[in-house]
Amino acid sequence: MTATASAERALRRGGVLMAVGLLMVAGVYVRALLFTPEEATQGLAQKIFYIHAPSAWVALYLAYGIVGIFSVLYLFLRDPRLDLLASSSAEVGTVFTTVVLVTGPIWGKTIWGAWWTWDARLTSTLFLYFIYLAYLVLRSAVEEPGRRARYSAVLGILGALLVPFIHMTVYLFRTLHPMPVVLQPGRPRVPGAMLVTILYSFLAFTVFYFGLLWRRYAWARLAAARAQGDAEGGADATR
Amino acid sequence: MPPANGGYMVAAYVAAAVIYLSYSAWLYWRSRGR
Repeated sequence: MTATASAERALRRGGVLMAVGLLMVAGVYVRALLFTPEEATQGLAQKIFYIHAPSAWVALYLAYGIVGIFSVLYLFLRDPRLDLLASSSAEVGTVFTTVVLVTGPIWGKTIWGAWWTWDARLTSTLFLYFIYLAYLVLRSAVEEPGRRARYSAVLGILGALLVPFIHMTVYLFRTLHPMPVVLQPGRPRVPGAMLVTILYSFLAFTVFYFGLLWRRYAWARLAAARAQGDAEGGADATR
Repeated sequence: MPPANGGYMVAAYVAAAVIYLSYSAWLYWRSRGR
């Protein structure tokens, strides 16, 4: 099978997983809004958690974790597919981080009384967002594939190094951000019906992420295969 | 009694849906171009 045909097949399969992920996320909406009890002190605003926390899990730990791991692998192995996977994950992760940074302040406004506070968790997450925006700008600014992959791998690794620090901010600093309720040592500190919604939301957003990643990566592979085909055919590879 | 802040919840849910659906639609349509 040619590289183009293989990428086209991956594109179709990625589209299917994307649709499954979207349906599962729609399920989170239904479950959280209709079948999960209202929290006693925070009211309905607490339900923002079911969108905010799994988005943060996907963005920081999965998406940027994968960027970090595949960027390191790229620097060792120099296989262009590793670079395409890392950059696809960075783009998808930035979408999830956007949701984290939009839903967080909406919750903060009603619970803290302020849209934003410059505490360690919020500030470091915002800086992480800036790093990956810079990563995407860098990729669009460098045309030579080898150099683009090398530069962005280094920036991708530096960004991913922030993630463990962001995880620890709620322990290391005096911060307003709530402590983890699931990703922490010990038993989850929530009642059963809420725990089911939390765990399902983490699963749904994870599947959705892999659908988007698969589709984005297949698209990048297809573009690379076509550019190579054009170059081999004597046509202009930069088209 | 819990505070009446359902409007904030709706705003967050709608904002997240708009962002995720916009990106999904953009990715789907851009990548299917022949």
